[in-house]
Amino acid sequence: MTAETLLFFVAVLQGGSIVVLIAVLLANRWLRRRRRDRVAPRRMVLDEAIKGWALGDVGPELVVRGLEALPRSDAVEALLAWSVRLTGERWRALADALERRPWTTRLRKAVRSRTWWRRLEAARFLSVAGTAADAGDIERLLKDPHPAVRITIAVALERFATPRLVNIVLDRLPDMVGPVQAHYAAVLRGQNAVTVPLLTERLGLVYDLGLPRIVEFSGRLGDARLREPITALATHRDAEVRVQVARALGDYPHARTVTVLQTLCTDPAWEVRALAVRSLGRIGDAATLADLRSRLADAEWWVRLRAALALTRLGAAGRDALLKAETGAQPDARYVSRLILGLSPQALSEFAA
Amino acid sequence: MNHFIHGFDAAVVVYFVLLNSFYALLLILALPEIWEQSLLAEDEDLVRLQEVGAPPPISILVPAYNESATIKASVTAILTLDYRHYEVIVVNDGSSDDTMGRLEDAFDLYEIPRTYPETLSTSPIRALYRSRTRPRLLVIDKENGGKADSLNAAINASRWPLVIAVDADTLIEPDAMLRLTRPFSLGLRIAAVGGTVRVANGSVIKDGRVVEPRVAPRFLPGIQVVEYLRSFLYGRLGWNRLGGNMIISGAFGLFRKDYLLEIGGYRTDSVVEDFDVVVRLHRYLLDRRLPYSITFVPDPVAWTEVPETLAVLGRQRERWHRGLILTMWKYRHMMLRPRYKRIGLLGFPFFTFGEMLAPLVEVLGYLVTALGLWWGFIDVPFALLFLLVALGYGMILSIWGILLEEVGFRRYRRASDLVRLLWYAALENFGYRQCTVWFRLKAFWSAIRARKTWGRMTRTGFAAAGTRIPS
Repeated sequence: MTAETLLFFVAVLQGGSIVVLIAVLLANRWLRRRRRDRVAPRRMVLDEAIKGWALGDVGPELVVRGLEALPRSDAVEALLAWSVRLTGERWRALADALERRPWTTRLRKAVRSRTWWRRLEAARFLSVAGTAADAGDIERLLKDPHPAVRITIAVALERFATPRLVNIVLDRLPDMVGPVQAHYAAVLRGQNAVTVPLLTERLGLVYDLGLPRIVEFSGRLGDARLREPITALATHRDAEVRVQVARALGDYPHARTVTVLQTLCTDPAWEVRALAVRSLGRIGDAATLADLRSRLADAEWWVRLRAALALTRLGAAGRDALLKAETGAQPDARYVSRLILGLSPQALSEFAA
Repeated sequence: MNHFIHGFDAAVVVYFVLLNSFYALLLILALPEIWEQSLLAEDEDLVRLQEVGAPPPISILVPAYNESATIKASVTAILTLDYRHYEVIVVNDGSSDDTMGRLEDAFDLYEIPRTYPETLSTSPIRALYRSRTRPRLLVIDKENGGKADSLNAAINASRWPLVIAVDADTLIEPDAMLRLTRPFSLGLRIAAVGGTVRVANGSVIKDGRVVEPRVAPRFLPGIQVVEYLRSFLYGRLGWNRLGGNMIISGAFGLFRKDYLLEIGGYRTDSVVEDFDVVVRLHRYLLDRRLPYSITFVPDPVAWTEVPETLAVLGRQRERWHRGLILTMWKYRHMMLRPRYKRIGLLGFPFFTFGEMLAPLVEVLGYLVTALGLWWGFIDVPFALLFLLVALGYGMILSIWGILLEEVGFRRYRRASDLVRLLWYAALENFGYRQCTVWFRLKAFWSAIRARKTWGRMTRTGFAAAGTRIPS
């Protein structure tokens, strides 16, 4: 075969590929339109059925029938969309009604699929329609290797959380980045009866390397029962733990908390001091005025800024302290006070956020 | 001479086969990637993440130099994004037009004192402003120092751990930020994420939003629609699978602020600061053996206005290529070094030989083939057949880009838009491609002269309400 023949052959092949690609493009458009025309009316019927069921006009059977009329992925999507708007007993009744339908059985079987997208679809379904009988499947999905599956199934914990399931989440805390932790904290916030005892136990493990994340997570939940175990860690030798303690205590206005934060204001680590000062500002106890005033002359810029902002939250006394510092002998305190006194109320509230 | 010409032609053929095989590999790798990304991009999941407040807070950095035509519309669009925790920092980089005045009028600004340390050094700051009507907005008015300098000033002033650099002439889709933060919400160790940039010319714009995407009817912006689709939808998706992108578009890219601060922010002496910063990020993270990924997510979309005249296009492409040459040269020590893993062993060789040297090889190929034909050393049918195959391959890649768009996203709903896309995919190789080769060739000359100018970009401005950008 000569080079010219080869090139000719390649050119013909390319021409054929172009024709096939264009045919695929057109077929894709046609198929999508056909699917849309078929599914859209059924989706409207389902939406009407769900609205009627939410108002108590029709039973859940009509909704189940509407879901069965849709392709599986569309049915799961519709469930997800409505789950945001409907909660409580009615939703539980629907979940029970969906428990033994052929298509939901197939979805449940997908929990054990080798392909992650099938497991993701199962997680999407179980996150809103899972029942107590699905605890084993939910546990499996919470341990799934694919992060999207884990994040999706976490929503199921909003409706029922067992100590076993919550422990799986808590075991993963040390490796979780901020947004993921915030997601888990949001779904577990309504399950404090299960979560708080488990967290209290973990907060007592002072040599645990994951302790900073446990404290951070506890702070996100903001449950009053966690105040004492968090406060007990204020003298922990790891500065990262003390940072999280100083941050979390801002949500617990209590005499003991204030005393601990006053101590943390003089911590050797500036990050701890900055957060302790910020938390004192959030609590807004007039008795801490002297501590905050002294931090206006801190060696670290961020601590001075946070102290000045905290003083603005102590009302007239705090403002007087800033005015005094503005004309005082300490140059750093003078500068930061002038800076904060020059801010508008709106800018101040944004900074203090 | 006969041997030389045939030898050179053989070398060009080998180069052509290798390069196009690599493009084919990128395309093959992009297919599972787009499948995975479209499965992860379910709207309902995003709504739920937003409801629980999981997406991380973000600072949006908007450098603006002489953007008076578009600044109000684009900042308004950015301020009304569908995202819970974010701030917008607009930097007026000593504009000589009325950019600052437009901002003052549109957002009722008032001056505030500076309340942050200057971590990265920048040109002097004239004043800082907040808005009475838009609490999220901070405006920095500073002496002219270039785009990188403006971004550094905005990084200094930013409050949140993630920053997005957005061009002032860019329109971000309302849910784009939520989509862009998806890798963070999945808990991946992300250093930077890039989104898709699409061509706004010809589309229907209302209140700073692209309400009806259309393919520009005019030749030059229309062809760039196809070019952008190809570049973003399979080029960058393919690189995701190959171990990390080396380009995060300066018009729309999200970075971890702590890493940007560690590497000293954006370099003011680079003409392609977005490319430079990503290469330095790779180097920094690989030197320290930190686990990370720099990835591209296709579903967050920002729309930008592309050049409508050859002169402006020429300046833009010349600058891009000059930046590529200078960056490749500056970080040449990373080339083929196992320490830099796939970036050193794959990314650098591809960008050097496949992108940087491509216009040189192409022009030399044209010249030598012409000489061969002139002296009768090369067969005319063979040369034409080779040209046909080369152009056909380019066309196939462009159509694949369109197909990925159709299957994955389908923004262009009208049948006429699909026809236009296919038409431009066919036309791109006749004239347009040769022009861009010429612009990129000129970049070698200016790189040798080490020119640091950007070249002027003339903007038409986004229409205010329900009209199309003239194209």
